[in-house]
Amino acid sequence: MADGSIPPGSDPVGPAPAVRPFLVTAGRVAAGPSGRTMPVETQVVATVEGLGALDGLSFEQHDIVAACRRPQSIAELAARLRLHLNVVRVLAEDLREEGRLTVHVPDADATHDASVLRRLIDGLRAIPDSGKVLRDNGDNG
Amino acid sequence: MVIAGGFGVGKTTAVGSISEIEPLTTEAAITEVAAGVDDLSLTPHKTTTTVAMDFGCITIDPTLKLYLFGTPGQERFGFMWDDIVEGAVGGLVIVDTRRLDDCYAAVDYFEHKRIPFAVAANAFDGKVEHTLDEVRWALDVADHVPVVVFDARETGSVRDALLVVLELALARTEA
Repeated sequence: MADGSIPPGSDPVGPAPAVRPFLVTAGRVAAGPSGRTMPVETQVVATVEGLGALDGLSFEQHDIVAACRRPQSIAELAARLRLHLNVVRVLAEDLREEGRLTVHVPDADATHDASVLRRLIDGLRAIPDSGKVLRDNGDNG
Repeated sequence: MVIAGGFGVGKTTAVGSISEIEPLTTEAAITEVAAGVDDLSLTPHKTTTTVAMDFGCITIDPTLKLYLFGTPGQERFGFMWDDIVEGAVGGLVIVDTRRLDDCYAAVDYFEHKRIPFAVAANAFDGKVEHTLDEVRWALDVADHVPVVVFDARETGSVRDALLVVLELALARTEA
């Protein structure tokens, strides 16, 4: 686009060279505020403030906030934006501190919760044997 | 849920059969210390390697999503499994019965971590090389570990394999 921003959902140009991730994060690695690394399924979503400030953001910060119009995991973000997972972890934490993203760390206890497991089981049982699986390629932003 | 198994057993196919999103691949850059074989001084040096992990997603309801994460195929990346497995509801070890060796590491790992898991033999060309009892014996899995046959290309079959793991997980919480 003429103003240099990338439309949400479109692919960035080509793979980033290997050295770039460390420049993007200014050499930081991924410990979160609790010291524990953000799990790959952690959900992130842009805040109203973040979306409002999009024009002032650039490069990866811009792409992440724009892509997070709808909630998704940091793994999905990394895959769609072709960024390394640890880069997304560090940038997501930065953006969270700046109030541009909300980060929802998954509840580890949920995996042992019988009611959650029953919901998973019921939900999976409802999936039909065959036919087209609905594909969402992220074009909805 | 973690989808484990050796290279080429059908992890990506299985995820693709049931995921709402096209299987995506996320990359984690890791630093490896390797002794240079072609380095005459044999001093260790660091290299950065990118490890690819396939994943997919199933939306159960508006507040619940099930992510399926494929582990890196190469066994030397086994140390990364802790990161993926922490917080997992269970695991599915996919086996190619023509190459049972490839999944020993995954079976050992899940048994050690005491995570609910099942072994699923992928029926290539509609058949498996051994009977399920033979697979169970060869892999030396404990009796309480379900061993099933499935077809990674079929949505219903993958669904049923995942259900085996979830039902095991549920049984454990109620034990």
